[in-house]
Amino acid sequence: MAKQKSNMTLSPRIVMLIAKKEYRVVMHERTFILSVLIQLFIASFSTFLVIGLTSFYDPTALGELDMGSTKIAVVGNVDNDSELYLLLQNSDLAPILYGEFSDAYTAFYDRRVDAILIIPDEPPGGYEILDIDIYLPRSDLKATLVSLQLKEPLEKFEQSVRDIRTKRISGYTPLDLNIVERKTKTSSTYFEFLYVALLPLLVFTPAFISGGLVVDFITEEFERKTIDLLLVSPISLLDVISGKVLLATIIAPVQALAWVLLLMMNGIVIHNVVTILLLVLVTAMILVLVSGIISVMFKERGMAQLFYSLILIFLFMISYLFTNSPMNLVTRLSIQSIGGLETVIWLGGYSLLAVVLYGGLLKVVEGE
Amino acid sequence: MIDIIINMMAGWITIAKWEFFRSKLKFDARSLILLAVSLLLLIGASYMAAQTGMNMNNDMYRVALTNPDLEPVLGIDQRFNVMTVDIDTASNMYATDADLVIIDPNVFMADTEKSASASEALKSTLKNYREGVLTSYNDINNSHPVWVTIHYLERPEAFQVLSGERPRSIAEDGEEEVIATQLSPEDVEAAATGGSITGEIGTGAAPAPPQTADEFQEIQRRNLFEKQTIATPSHFAPPIPFTAILYSFMFIFPIYFVSQFYSSSIMDERTNKKCELVLVAPLRGADIVIGKTVPYILVTMVIIAIVTTYIKGLPTDTETIKSSLLILATMFPIVLLFFAFSFISAILSRSFKELTFAMVFLSVVVSGYLFFPAMFANVHAISTISPMTLIVLLIEGENIKMSEYIFSTLPFYFVGLSVYVFGIYIFREEDLFTQKPITQKLLDCVEIFLSNPYGSVFLLSIIFIPFVYMAQLMLIVMLFNLPLPYSVIVMIVLAALIEELVKSIGIYTLFKRKMVAPTLKNAATLAVFAGAGFFAGEKLLVFITLAPIATSVFGSVMTMGTLLLIPLMVHITGVMVVSLGMYAISPRWYLPFVLFASILHGLYNLFILRGILFG
Repeated sequence: MAKQKSNMTLSPRIVMLIAKKEYRVVMHERTFILSVLIQLFIASFSTFLVIGLTSFYDPTALGELDMGSTKIAVVGNVDNDSELYLLLQNSDLAPILYGEFSDAYTAFYDRRVDAILIIPDEPPGGYEILDIDIYLPRSDLKATLVSLQLKEPLEKFEQSVRDIRTKRISGYTPLDLNIVERKTKTSSTYFEFLYVALLPLLVFTPAFISGGLVVDFITEEFERKTIDLLLVSPISLLDVISGKVLLATIIAPVQALAWVLLLMMNGIVIHNVVTILLLVLVTAMILVLVSGIISVMFKERGMAQLFYSLILIFLFMISYLFTNSPMNLVTRLSIQSIGGLETVIWLGGYSLLAVVLYGGLLKVVEGE
Repeated sequence: MIDIIINMMAGWITIAKWEFFRSKLKFDARSLILLAVSLLLLIGASYMAAQTGMNMNNDMYRVALTNPDLEPVLGIDQRFNVMTVDIDTASNMYATDADLVIIDPNVFMADTEKSASASEALKSTLKNYREGVLTSYNDINNSHPVWVTIHYLERPEAFQVLSGERPRSIAEDGEEEVIATQLSPEDVEAAATGGSITGEIGTGAAPAPPQTADEFQEIQRRNLFEKQTIATPSHFAPPIPFTAILYSFMFIFPIYFVSQFYSSSIMDERTNKKCELVLVAPLRGADIVIGKTVPYILVTMVIIAIVTTYIKGLPTDTETIKSSLLILATMFPIVLLFFAFSFISAILSRSFKELTFAMVFLSVVVSGYLFFPAMFANVHAISTISPMTLIVLLIEGENIKMSEYIFSTLPFYFVGLSVYVFGIYIFREEDLFTQKPITQKLLDCVEIFLSNPYGSVFLLSIIFIPFVYMAQLMLIVMLFNLPLPYSVIVMIVLAALIEELVKSIGIYTLFKRKMVAPTLKNAATLAVFAGAGFFAGEKLLVFITLAPIATSVFGSVMTMGTLLLIPLMVHITGVMVVSLGMYAISPRWYLPFVLFASILHGLYNLFILRGILFG
């Protein structure tokens, strides 16, 4: 009984002392710098992927950068007023008419043109399918570029053929909405990457890291048996664990704030920063408490890290399943797409989960 | 002779057995049950998440509607949070509480990025809706009148991997490509006289547009791993090789998990000095390291084999067996590198935290190296830098060539093995059980290497080349975010810093650890050897690997001036500055002199590249 009591006493002063000690160790070992580097790498890597890919797959994103028109060969019995040919001429591509496929192929082989397009004889008003053959160079960047530039004229062509043919489908009325365009233009790929992927990833990476950090904080004491030394002093096990949990939790929103500021300095508008940081704090607490429970249960780094990673991926997966998962909540908060009441309810719910998990931690510590 | 070999092997086999059975014991009944439960939960959650389409963008745009009929149309896209209101409310909500206000048939938007993005999202949603409605009519000729058939043709590339074109497997690509591949323009002309070649190419295994709605559905359900060959213009998509990332994850996750256990096990020997007893036993450090490593590598390879079987199917025919084995052979150097980094992290770090961070950092870096070029699999030949690209090709049923295998895996083998050798050097009491700073431990590695009869600064510089190569490739990815002239400038300076650091580290160790007398003659000779070694190593590397990318834009930034053009003199000058500086003042001034030499080196490179940067 006496042992259990000393296990469970909680002294705020000692908790702070433990937290400070861990803080000094983390700073001394420069693990913190490494952690920032990791996050920087993740950030630059994901921006690389998306900016690179959007500008690559969405040439309009490149803006004024002129890629020059790619020459393509067009084969078929086209007179100059063939609709597809006209659409191609008005696109970013430079179509060149060839009478024979073999001539076009020679030009393709000699790199004078980068694709061959064969226009079928079927008229738009006909009854057979119009099958367009496209020949692209294999394993070549040009193939992707040409496909990108071909998509728009092809879609326009499809639309114009459909305008004629869908009238024959009984009961079909096309849905037409007239979008009144404004000055501001943006690519939704880029916008969504920024607020759906990058921002949530950046503000939560510190929380993910904190969870792993606590595993190390706790299992190290058990594996090095330093915990036995601490426990003969008036410090209780709960003090030690709480101090570590405390430090790991509070460093997460601090790092998240740094990321938010960095993004803001780059001209990215982020709303509801305080609420977002509060959410990061609560999420970090949930993750840290989960990994705290695991660490006290297993007392061994390998096992505890394995289970923490598995649970982290599990949580990540279930956050795809519902609206207002922490990641989604950050997105909606940052672009002002969520009402005040909804925010309070969900934030309250997550805090409640943290309280329940703290109860779980108490239970596990008590069991020691 | 056989006795000796058996004796040599017995050492590490004992350790391996011991490691294997002991670590198995860590999984007691409770852990195994918990592991099974959490894996089941994870699989269940992943399956459910995959069903929803893996989106985290729910309800990000707010749309006000006046026509309730539109609600189901926008409802198919989870991005829209739709409110149906009357016209007065709708006009009040405009630009305040709603990003889009739809007063049929007009869509009004605010002049903000969010609204602009929402309107783009709306366009794609309307398109998807239209396609969905049209598909529901079983009248393909009228609902989907235009079809695009995509064929890929070989032609001489402007830039090639090593030599020759990649031979394509016949089975996968359909006959028409094979015909085309072997045709030179002359052949085509010859054929053209006999008749239209279009007909010849058009026959073969080319897919035809569907005749019924069911066939249409079949085409839409195209396997994620297959290349698009036929589509309507609306579904026509350029080849985006995101699948590469998926594969990488499937293969790399197991490595990551096992390496956690591996590093814990190595660290375990250090905490509480458990391995002290083993070290006094008549076993060499190498035996212990190999013994502790082999079981983990085996387990990882078994898991990877299972993943391979899952992707490729059971190996029933020789073709599948061959490509499955090739996948394993390509994964092996990746595993080796991951484990080498875990090993050295476990040896160097002073605490569990440091170990975790070092491992996460190195895993992220290696994963980046694997992911980034593999994104361009099937798009650009530069992608073969990453072994992951070979994996993608193998999964798609293509062949890889020995030269490609060497090109992408050699740096992995080399870096992995040399990290192990350096790690084994310091697998001894004074480094394992003391709280020596990491820099001192690293110097210990270099010191032991140099005190070896075959060790020399010349060889040391050569050994560091693959490290420099991989680090510089990673720099390209890291610095991509900076605007163009700056990214190249920072890249040049950092690349120079890395090179100057590795060239002079040997000389620093020799002076610092008082292994040679710090005379002027020694300082000068060592500098010549170190610089020449780096130069020789570079040439060797260029010869083996860099040739294919040397002509690309990235390649020229990385190699121009530093790996190809800069004469021997620049390398020697850089290291000479550091060496003489340390001789003249003190080895304590090592870092400032390295910085100084890097700046000189960087300026020279900038001078060489001035035309590209400022011209």
